[in-house]
Amino acid sequence: MKQIVIPGEIVSEERKRLGSNVYVLNGKIHSKVLGIIDNESDTADVVALKGTYIPKRDDTVIGIVNRVVFAGYGVEINSFNESFIPRKAMRQEAKLGDIIVAKIDDVNELKEANLSYPKKLYDGEIIQIIPVRSPRLIGKNASMLDVLTNGTNCEIFIGKNGRVWAKDGNIDLLKKAINFIDENSYKSNLTNAVEELLKGEKK
Amino acid sequence: MTMQDIDYKKTKTRLDGRKMNELRPLSIEVGVIPNAQGSAYLEWGQNKVYAAVYGPREALPKHTANSLKAVVKVEYRMVSFSVPDRKRPGPNRRDQEISKVLGEALDHAIFTEQFPNTEIGVYVEVIDSNAGSRVACLAAASCALADAGIPMKDLVSATGVGKAYGEIILDLNKDEEDAPDAVDIPIAIMPNSKEIVLLQMDGPLTRKEWDSVAKLGMEGCMQVYEVQKAALAKKYEIGEALVNGKKIAKAENKTESKVENKTTDKKEDKKSSAKTTKKKVKK
Repeated sequence: MKQIVIPGEIVSEERKRLGSNVYVLNGKIHSKVLGIIDNESDTADVVALKGTYIPKRDDTVIGIVNRVVFAGYGVEINSFNESFIPRKAMRQEAKLGDIIVAKIDDVNELKEANLSYPKKLYDGEIIQIIPVRSPRLIGKNASMLDVLTNGTNCEIFIGKNGRVWAKDGNIDLLKKAINFIDENSYKSNLTNAVEELLKGEKK
Repeated sequence: MTMQDIDYKKTKTRLDGRKMNELRPLSIEVGVIPNAQGSAYLEWGQNKVYAAVYGPREALPKHTANSLKAVVKVEYRMVSFSVPDRKRPGPNRRDQEISKVLGEALDHAIFTEQFPNTEIGVYVEVIDSNAGSRVACLAAASCALADAGIPMKDLVSATGVGKAYGEIILDLNKDEEDAPDAVDIPIAIMPNSKEIVLLQMDGPLTRKEWDSVAKLGMEGCMQVYEVQKAALAKKYEIGEALVNGKKIAKAENKTESKVENKTTDKKEDKKSSAKTTKKKVKK
């Protein structure tokens, strides 16, 4: 059964495999954040409801160029540190405000991300959501992403840092659907609800 | 009867009709400021407090940053109309002191080592006050931090406790704070581990009185904790997503069948491509 926990609340008194957002105190597993737990699972794991983006290795992120210098570009990736891409690593020239998608190669002890495979995205719009909710936009086996692409005919790129890039198609409808997912991210049966929402709006 | 003649041992009830171990009415609402990462509004008797949390973000000015942990910067402010006589806006000595002690109390509860070189900004604004505003701010700030999704060991629950008119009492109001024998003790704890993170005292107590004050303070903090817990859980209610107020029927195993279709499609594709290559070879 799913249940809401607040910081410090006991997630499990038994020994369980430790997932994310938990810590152990006096042999009991406590939550670190306000989130949701699944009591029946054999891992003690808390799914956070809110939070900032902490860069992790192998994440795909969408960044915005906010500094151009001779050696390269400073890219803002919605984290507390700016990332730097050397001019050599980019195939195309970039200018201030350009949208860049890249993979995080490495994260150092100060949580500064090293980006690799940067690629410029042309045109399109960026929609911002709460970063911890971005997995909900993709869904199991990319089911939610399928529903969104089929329902709006948009070309969609979802970054783990809570940014969605979209181009062509019905972007207003996509924004509405993403807003709906953002508000209801902790509820069940969401994919079907979004499918219904998109169907209803199309009519 | 003047204020000096009041004796709680005789009256058995307090000036505002409360029992000795009773809090003033307390209510907390979470997520009231949309532009902040986390926020809370608290009403505790006549005290009214807003708290907002921004961050973790780049620590500025840069010399304040610590490369091993996040810095918790608390700004406690009273608006000019929050007290009977107009308060000069801008930080005074008292504001600076309270900001410091609140920051240190919250610092104990937050996993600051997860965010090196950053700052977590906590802004608490007192709209109306009537004794015990620092504990009200602490309770509100810890709710706002939890609402912002910042990893914490525990919430911080706080209350005022002390002595007035000859009796040990919980949550003093302004009249009690001004009593001739008043001792005011703000106390804040982390409820799960019962660790004390804030304790101040402004008068003498005997050892026996102190023991009962500490016990009463802990009980008061636990009462505040229950209200904080309820306020945070109230924002999110687990259930099914509704579209225009209607429930949507579950499509069972839909995703699985989709995946299966995809994989079979791929297999067929492979087969067909294999066939074509064979044909090419034949040709």
